[in-house]
Amino acid sequence: MANSTAAVVQGTLDMLVLKTLALQPMHAYGIAQRIKQISQGVFDVNPGSLFPAFKRLERAGWLASEWRASENNRRAKYYSLTPTGKKQLKAETRDWKTQMIAISRILEA
Amino acid sequence: MRFIHSFLEGVKALLHRETVDRELNDELHDYIQCAIAEKVRNGATPEEALRSARVEFGSIEAVKQEVRTTGWESVVESFGQDVRYCIRILRKSPLFTAVAIATIAIGIGATTAMFSVVDAVLLRPLPFPGSQRLMMLGAHARGGTGMKAIGIADFTAWRDHQNSFERVAAFDGAAGTFALSGLGDPEKVPGAGVTADFFAALGVQPLMGRFFQPGEDRPDAPALVVISPQFWRDHLASDPNVLGRSIVLDGTPHTIVGVTPGWFRFPSSNPIDVWAVRTLPHPVSRPPYSLRAFGRLRPGVSVRAAEAEFDGIASQVSSQYPSSADLVGHLVPMKEWMVENVSTALFVLLGAIFLLLLLAVVNVASLLLARATLRVREVAVRMALGASRRRVVRQLLTESVLLSVAGGAIGLLLAYLSVRAFMVVGPGRIPRLQEVALNCSVLLFTSLTCVGSGILFGLAPAFIASRTKLGEPLKRSQRSMTSRDAHRAQRAFVVAQVALALLLMIGSGLLVRSFLRLRSVDPGIRADHVITAAIALPKSYSDAPRNTQFWMQFLQKVQSLPGVTAVGITMSLPPNLLEINNPFTVEGQGYDRNRALQLAEEVPVSPDYFRSLGIPLIAGRFFSPSDRVEDEHDPMLVIINETMAKRYFPNQDPVGRRIQTGDPDPKAPWETIVGVVGDVKYSGLDAAPAPTLYVPFNEYGWSEWSREMYLVVRSGEDPGTLAAAICLELKNMDSSVPLAQVRTMEQLLDESVMEQRFRTWLLGSFASLALLLSAIGIYAVVSYSVNQRTQEIGVRIALGAKSRDVLAMVLAEGFWLLAAGSLLGISGALMGTRLLRTLLYSTSTTDALSFAATVMILCGVALLACYIPARRATRVDPMVALRAE
Repeated sequence: MANSTAAVVQGTLDMLVLKTLALQPMHAYGIAQRIKQISQGVFDVNPGSLFPAFKRLERAGWLASEWRASENNRRAKYYSLTPTGKKQLKAETRDWKTQMIAISRILEA
Repeated sequence: MRFIHSFLEGVKALLHRETVDRELNDELHDYIQCAIAEKVRNGATPEEALRSARVEFGSIEAVKQEVRTTGWESVVESFGQDVRYCIRILRKSPLFTAVAIATIAIGIGATTAMFSVVDAVLLRPLPFPGSQRLMMLGAHARGGTGMKAIGIADFTAWRDHQNSFERVAAFDGAAGTFALSGLGDPEKVPGAGVTADFFAALGVQPLMGRFFQPGEDRPDAPALVVISPQFWRDHLASDPNVLGRSIVLDGTPHTIVGVTPGWFRFPSSNPIDVWAVRTLPHPVSRPPYSLRAFGRLRPGVSVRAAEAEFDGIASQVSSQYPSSADLVGHLVPMKEWMVENVSTALFVLLGAIFLLLLLAVVNVASLLLARATLRVREVAVRMALGASRRRVVRQLLTESVLLSVAGGAIGLLLAYLSVRAFMVVGPGRIPRLQEVALNCSVLLFTSLTCVGSGILFGLAPAFIASRTKLGEPLKRSQRSMTSRDAHRAQRAFVVAQVALALLLMIGSGLLVRSFLRLRSVDPGIRADHVITAAIALPKSYSDAPRNTQFWMQFLQKVQSLPGVTAVGITMSLPPNLLEINNPFTVEGQGYDRNRALQLAEEVPVSPDYFRSLGIPLIAGRFFSPSDRVEDEHDPMLVIINETMAKRYFPNQDPVGRRIQTGDPDPKAPWETIVGVVGDVKYSGLDAAPAPTLYVPFNEYGWSEWSREMYLVVRSGEDPGTLAAAICLELKNMDSSVPLAQVRTMEQLLDESVMEQRFRTWLLGSFASLALLLSAIGIYAVVSYSVNQRTQEIGVRIALGAKSRDVLAMVLAEGFWLLAAGSLLGISGALMGTRLLRTLLYSTSTTDALSFAATVMILCGVALLACYIPARRATRVDPMVALRAE
């Protein structure tokens, strides 16, 4: 597990976070759990990569954050996708798909 | 857009650091709480959940650190931390900080000042448009050398027939002053005589009015003048209607047609008040050669082609004046011509300054290195706590950059002040000095030097200190651990310092020797109790009898003043105010036109001139008032000097022999030698002995030239009262004639070596600074070395070593370093001083005495610098040293 998460390249992690937030705003733990869930355990992102990613994405203007009351009535920081973020997600998904097709072709050739 | 957003967020984060930190902390803890809640939901106990959540999360601090380092403001923050830390550290050792900053300030300040001067004088183009196409024209006889002035005949022929230049012009080559009268007391004002196209060729625009136009230098044209704004302000009270007013220069009214811009000073390096039209009357003979000509080369025309064109024109002129020598022209870019005299000196000084800067840098590097080895433990602890080596290096570098920026700021201030001082004190003969200023290129240069030297001398210590193996310094006691690399580097630094200081000191020692030799040259006169002045009679005195009568009367009046022993007038004044060179032919030499030109310095004088200056008579007699020379049929008399007698009349008595002056011509009048006098320097104290001819000033043919003469008075009276008395006599005779340039002969002798004195003084100060810096450096290094070896010394003393032995041990190390450094410095000097050759007077560049003396001085100072800490070493109490940690 640890190896896989270490191998998640910075750029890919950004894309995964953006995708996760496309559905609804979430807080940090929720995002981590969702990624782990949907990837069926392949990507167990450690906090040392996650939190810097949030800051990075927020700085780039793709995420917005606000403090809200969470499920257990605690104060939690919720991240959501901005319109620019949505555009960025579309662009990155497109690039990723193109790369994936190219790599598959090479591997099957 | 992204960048602006990121930037703004970063600024917000910097300003609200605590809030941001707190929020991050809350967020991370919240994450852990969520993880715990999840685990509990899945069945773990609260304690198990807590522990495993914590373990899975990892180090909270590490995550915080990771988050902090994203975002550009983290760099700024850590930089700010470094700076604050550095300031604290530097404040703890104030002496070191002060010495380091002072060293850097001196190094950078001196370099910046010198560079400003070199930049303004040598590197920057002249302040005229397209100045690289401005060429000075000089000529010399075929087979000779030099860029000599040309005459009216050659200039007008060139002006009218040349095609290579857009415009040509000329100015009077003789030092320019005009006698101003009619505006208060008569006085001499600095001025230049220029031809009509002068300003147009340079491309200068007038501040007011206009400049001269072509044709306004015809002999029959009205006399016009252009003035400077300073003259306008000081003498004409900034009269708004100044154009069209008339001022009297040299007795002739000149109409003012324009005002120059304030910065314009050509052709002098000192301020000029008036530029008068220099009329070009039709010449009767090819000489006198007194015009400095220049022109603006047409684009695309080569210098060689233009020179060849002049040669062709000159040979035409030669055929018009058959007895004159053939002239060959030479073109030199104007800037080069203006600065050629000083370029060697300035570059040498700049080189010396860079050596000084290097020395300063090495000094501070060595100081920092010494300190770094003391802080090895601190570095080890920091690295054990998790600082990356890069961070440690960065912090050490910040310290040195901080020092050098502080030193650089002070240095810049120093530079500004010394440039101002330089402009006031520096010899007036450095051209373009008024253009010196601290400008952008200089500031850029300083900043680069600052940061560059900071990095340079921070690098070595930083790397050495950070390379220490982590375990060692924490285990062993700090004192006994001396990083071998650090020690080696320090020793290299000392050797370098000694070598550099020696280089500078030898250079300056040579200059000092040369200057002392120069100053002790015998000018050929007795300079005590002699006062001199310059008197210029207006054009109305061109009439020979009037001229002679005035001077004779005036000389009599001055002679009868109380205290006056002797008084004379002369056209050329020792030691370096020569006016005329003339070719001559000795009877019997023949008139071969291809023979090399024999030139003598020709000086018209009054009979008592020789007595006034104490010039000894060697054979024959002086001129006498009873000599009849004024009529054209009177015999022409001449007195020659010892050099001329020895060279042209070896083993004979020259008295009674005859010579001719002027271009070789069998029909020239014969002049009889009536006496031989001792040699006198007229072309500077460092000039080689030259033949000199003296003629009576009132001799037929000379009197109309004898309007501008120097007065020489030997008297026991106080110079001030004497000068006032002479001024009064002059005023009584003619109130329009000013008495100018009143100086004692001793002052003149001093002034003639002003440049050399200044150079020597400047280089000497650099050398003294270098010596001081290297002494400090050596002291610091040996001092720290002793400190570090205190334990070892303590052990040795406990084992029975005497103070003598300890002293010897410390001094021996210093001695070998000195020897190595001296060797390096001497070999460098042997090669490098060749650059000084043109600046030295009768001193070889490998003058043994200078070399030996400087080495001894340096070694003496250096050994003293070693001795003090060595003495301290002998006083080490072994018990204290062994116990100390």
